Amino acid sequence: MRLKVNGDMRDVAEDWQDENLLVVLREHLGLVGSRFSCGIGQCGACVVHVDGEPVSSCLVPVSDIENKEVLTVESLADADGTLHPLQQAWLDENVPQCGYCQSGQLMQALSLLQRNPNPNDADIDTAMSGHLCRCGTYDRIRKAIKRAALTMQEAS
Amino acid sequence: MAKLSRRNFLIATGWVAGGVTVLYAMRNRALTVAPTIIFPNSASGITWVQIRPDGKCMMYFSRMEMGQNSNTGLAQIVAEELNINIEDIEGVTPSTSDVPPIAVTAGSMSMTAFSHPTAAAAAMLRETLRARAATKLNKSVDLILDAPGGFTTAENQQLVYADLVDDTPAMIEFDESKPLPALYTFDKTRAKKQVGRATRPLDMQKLITGAPVYAADVPMDGVLYGRAIKPPVRNARIDTLDTSGVEGVKGLIKLVREDEFVGVVCKTPSAVDAAMDQINVTWKLEQPINDDEIAKIIDVDARMAEGDLEHIFEETDHRKDADWHIDLRFDVQNQSHAMQEPRAAIARFNPSTAAHRLEIWTGTQDPWAMKRLAALDTGLDEDEVVVYPQRMGGGFGGREHYEVEMDAVRLARVVKRPVKVQWVRADEFMCSRSRPASAHRIRLAADEKGNLSDWWHGYVTGHIVLARERLPGWLLPLMRLGEDIGTVRGAVTPYAAPHHRVEFSDVDLPIDLGVWRSLNAGPAVFARESAVDELALQLGRDPVDYKIEQMAGNHPRLQACLERVRELAEKRPLPKGKGYGRGYACGIYEHRCNVAASADVFVDEKTQTIKVTHMCCVEDVGLAVNPDQLRAQMESNIAWSVGMALMEKYEIGDDTIQSSNFDNYTIPRMADMPSVDTDIIDQPGLPPAGAGEVALIAGPGAIANAIRQATGYRALSLPISYDDIKTGKKA
Repeated sequence: MRLKVNGDMRDVAEDWQDENLLVVLREHLGLVGSRFSCGIGQCGACVVHVDGEPVSSCLVPVSDIENKEVLTVESLADADGTLHPLQQAWLDENVPQCGYCQSGQLMQALSLLQRNPNPNDADIDTAMSGHLCRCGTYDRIRKAIKRAALTMQEAS
Repeated sequence: MAKLSRRNFLIATGWVAGGVTVLYAMRNRALTVAPTIIFPNSASGITWVQIRPDGKCMMYFSRMEMGQNSNTGLAQIVAEELNINIEDIEGVTPSTSDVPPIAVTAGSMSMTAFSHPTAAAAAMLRETLRARAATKLNKSVDLILDAPGGFTTAENQQLVYADLVDDTPAMIEFDESKPLPALYTFDKTRAKKQVGRATRPLDMQKLITGAPVYAADVPMDGVLYGRAIKPPVRNARIDTLDTSGVEGVKGLIKLVREDEFVGVVCKTPSAVDAAMDQINVTWKLEQPINDDEIAKIIDVDARMAEGDLEHIFEETDHRKDADWHIDLRFDVQNQSHAMQEPRAAIARFNPSTAAHRLEIWTGTQDPWAMKRLAALDTGLDEDEVVVYPQRMGGGFGGREHYEVEMDAVRLARVVKRPVKVQWVRADEFMCSRSRPASAHRIRLAADEKGNLSDWWHGYVTGHIVLARERLPGWLLPLMRLGEDIGTVRGAVTPYAAPHHRVEFSDVDLPIDLGVWRSLNAGPAVFARESAVDELALQLGRDPVDYKIEQMAGNHPRLQACLERVRELAEKRPLPKGKGYGRGYACGIYEHRCNVAASADVFVDEKTQTIKVTHMCCVEDVGLAVNPDQLRAQMESNIAWSVGMALMEKYEIGDDTIQSSNFDNYTIPRMADMPSVDTDIIDQPGLPPAGAGEVALIAGPGAIANAIRQATGYRALSLPISYDDIKTGKKA
């Protein structure tokens, strides 16, 4: 079985084909940026994009993903290390505290900006409602998303 | 480790390849079973700073990182003392074999206890290098002037640190009998370059690129996966156990049973889930687990009716029969840490020829305790065990114990392969040593001028620091003869009253308890700030003015915070109309940290919801080493205040823990988070105090007082729901 992850075709060995996508990404393919937290799709720490849509990777059997395209937080920055405007905005606002939820937050924020390049607070609160941050970085996430939206508009 | 001389120890650990290192003498050894309590503030403790032969500054990070970023603050201090940029410092989190034990990272003590020794170490290093520069230039030391990254002279003879160190290791040992060199960090006349700068935390880039930083991220060849069953309380014993279905699980490597420990090791995580599903266990409890039982135990009124509570904490001319203006009972709920990362650990046993027989990778607030306890658990010598501390995905007081580490160690020992244990969310809630519920009776009286005459605060709460199963059974009764430093936190009132008593009882509850952000201070200050607010309203006074008056000039820093937060709040007019309200609260945490908060709420009849729309927070915690991170901690505590005031309740019942995931333990989401304005009152002449849990003492009271302004309802029980307001719920 093969998966397309961050643009690369990756083999999934037989022992791992009954696992969920998150486990395969982390334990089999070594992409540990997506994190396990609730296991029931309530917190968003494991959110990745599958065919461009944000999904909780802890809920999806990897067997459902064959021939689909997976994007994880590891794909955001360019190969030369240049950060995605969202990541740069996250840095500029010093968003993370413990950091554990931030990969999922970034992937959801990316999806939001792809749909809505200029979100207001209410749009952000709605789009990000599936993502928990116990450290309470929410207000900085709002600011970072708006900052990234500006940068991305200026660039386009 | 203790067998090595310090110098050999440094070389053996590979830390010193040359250059100059500062070492604080470590004079105490830790108890095996207790939390590690070696602070570097006086006779005991260590901190490390080094200039390597290439002139690069390296430091061992003494604090375990969980988002509080105190190591960044300590690095700023080193940079200030050495006249370098923080970006030029390479920080390394030491393993337990790299350095002697360092105190548990807890209680907002990091900046308080570590800033001065860190500054002193760096300053001694600087002065040693200055002396070398003097020798090299054949000048007297006082002619060697500071310059970025080194020294200069009036004749512009430049020397950078790399010019002053070579490949021969040298070490400066701290000698308390000698005067300290000038500490730039604490010189309030100095224009500082690093301290006071809003520096980006050092790990930030890793956290936004998905780099491996947490225990479960550590790559490990040949790793297997495991988990163990968890009882609802730690003193429960297995009553019945049926594991007959486990053997049929595909991918099972081993079912392990050692007394009360029952776990599985499998090839993959899903096999672990399947095997755990096949374990059916019932538990024998010493005491029923339900809310009624807890309510009975902490019934403060029943206990006060019987006489004095267990500890009279403060008393001056106390009158039991004053003419009480306020006589209110406040009840505060059990709460769980609910950090985003469920705990995880990896354990690996090695052949006897290896440097360490047992290696453990884990995110913990107390790696040296893990090492001692793993040695005790396995019968290995402490020197044979090493813990590699990883970043924690949140700690909040909940990660000081040998628990997930024990699971990994015991399973790895049996299967002789490395084992990763990733707790699931239900384990995390089941094993939460929650913040105890508490009940407070507050009676206040005012004289004819309206000034406080009588103050009587009695409360009953579960043990915190001395909670059952946190220390060994034999030690606990002895320790409990003294005060539990967790349950007294928050007991001191800043308001002056000539007749005064604060008393409390700390008790065992049927569930496991422990240290939760701000300990008892959050609940106690919520109750106190609610009661004084209510008194002010009864007297027809503005609550902020009244509180400032009743401080009687004794707490100018707290007063300044409260005044500043009011200015900040008033910049944003409260919408007119029904359901809007603004409230304030303030307090002093651990005698050093002053905080005031305001909250704007909207109690919406239409949607039957309470929404916190905006909050302001002002802190004076002494020297603000990193203002941005101080603000980040305020914001975090504001989020927790919303959770504590309006949302969170650790649910128990039917003899078990009912809260099992985020669908039945609700914590604030983005839409629950108010916008936040923060401000800092900096005190360049005062040592920095911690800020990790300070604002949580003021936030809940501010929200409750805002609801009182919005609706007339005085909240007597947390969390507050819309129904409570509607029905006028009492404690």
